[in-house]
Amino acid sequence: MDIDDDDFFTNLDQSGRVANNNAFQERLRQAPRDDDGAEILDAPPFMLEEEEETPLQQLIRHWMNERHSPDILPNEGELLAGLLDHIRSQSETVQLLRTDPSSSEEEHFRIMLVQTEVERVKFIVRSYLRTRLFKIEKFARYIMTNPEVQQRLSESEVEHARRFARLTDQHFYHSVLQSLPETQQTLDDQPPFVPSMVTEPDKARAVFVLARQDCPPVRLPDGSALDMRKGHISLTLYSVVEQLIARGEVELV
Amino acid sequence: MTDTRQFGDLATQLVAESRRSTLTDTLLKYNDSLVRSIIREQRDLEKMTETSQNVTPAMLIYQTTIVRNKRCLLAYHKHRMDRLRDMYWTAGGALPHILSNQDIRSKLSPHEVDFLRQYSTSVMDYRAGFSNELDITASITHPPKDLHVLVHVIRDCGVIQTELGSIDFQKGQRFMVRRADIEHLIVQGYLEEV
Repeated sequence: MDIDDDDFFTNLDQSGRVANNNAFQERLRQAPRDDDGAEILDAPPFMLEEEEETPLQQLIRHWMNERHSPDILPNEGELLAGLLDHIRSQSETVQLLRTDPSSSEEEHFRIMLVQTEVERVKFIVRSYLRTRLFKIEKFARYIMTNPEVQQRLSESEVEHARRFARLTDQHFYHSVLQSLPETQQTLDDQPPFVPSMVTEPDKARAVFVLARQDCPPVRLPDGSALDMRKGHISLTLYSVVEQLIARGEVELV
Repeated sequence: MTDTRQFGDLATQLVAESRRSTLTDTLLKYNDSLVRSIIREQRDLEKMTETSQNVTPAMLIYQTTIVRNKRCLLAYHKHRMDRLRDMYWTAGGALPHILSNQDIRSKLSPHEVDFLRQYSTSVMDYRAGFSNELDITASITHPPKDLHVLVHVIRDCGVIQTELGSIDFQKGQRFMVRRADIEHLIVQGYLEEV
């Protein structure tokens, strides 16, 4: 994916700039929470002083965290619901304006920009959900045996995990296990020297973290402390920074 | 060949197939006969462990082989399931499109067809939760840069509802259409971006 070209993020701001225009703002006013990117500066997010993150910026951060993290992060249900509502109302407004014969040429151009923006936001939402779905399927059996992890999933995600775990078990049973002698039909043996049959997230994986603010020192496995200033990037174990990510003090890059 | 065969050789062959499938990035035909032979070997091994009265070093070999064979069998099936899921998502969740492809269909075991059907049902259930806003099965490989896209029709796909009204896509024609309307047709290979 070529998301790292600058283009991508500048484009994401476009609806914000467009919406800043008064005439258009008037017409879009009935759309609630039209605040995406209203105050976006050119600086990368971590350089902003006390600047409130817009919902879209938050989603982009969670999306990147989710993509880089070996474990499943808590579901951002509320944020997502807000954005989805916003997408829907934007789309409806756009439909309304497009069919309105009094819309000027200039407005049609802006509508196109907004539509493009909506498509791009949808892309991120989709990618975010699919990343989670991929992990959920990978760790389905682990999730079903671990209520703590289920807390981090939305209801429909848990449902999918349950169905998928059952489905794989069934498939194994029909294809292999039912033909084996009874003593061999289990799916959770733990013979010595063999990895567990239940795949678990590898929290020892290395990740790049970027400090969004000055962080309290965290302890590394070798006993020394890692002290990160704002804007600092380091390569470390996921398990070391797990808490910092949960508190939003760092992000994965 | 049978004279020199050791326990576990067959399972090694099976895993080698999975490796080959990954390396060549193709789905190989389900190897039913090999799977059956390994299952037979498992039954024989089980009998041998049952008949021997006292614990002998041979028992250890039998037990290890049983564990290993079983793991290889499961790994083989799991690997295929992963491939099938990949295939499902690459086709944008269009299950009939996959199953109507004779070439693919002939490589699947009946249980795998069942698996795909049920998997699809589960994904569709999940997708329904978002159906008002977006289609989560659409492509996630490239962020959209333009609203519209110029496409070239590779195979007839009949009349499709688009923003510009309904268009009858016929082989060889070119259209400028809204990406969101026809993305699934690109994924399924009816249209091609110019």
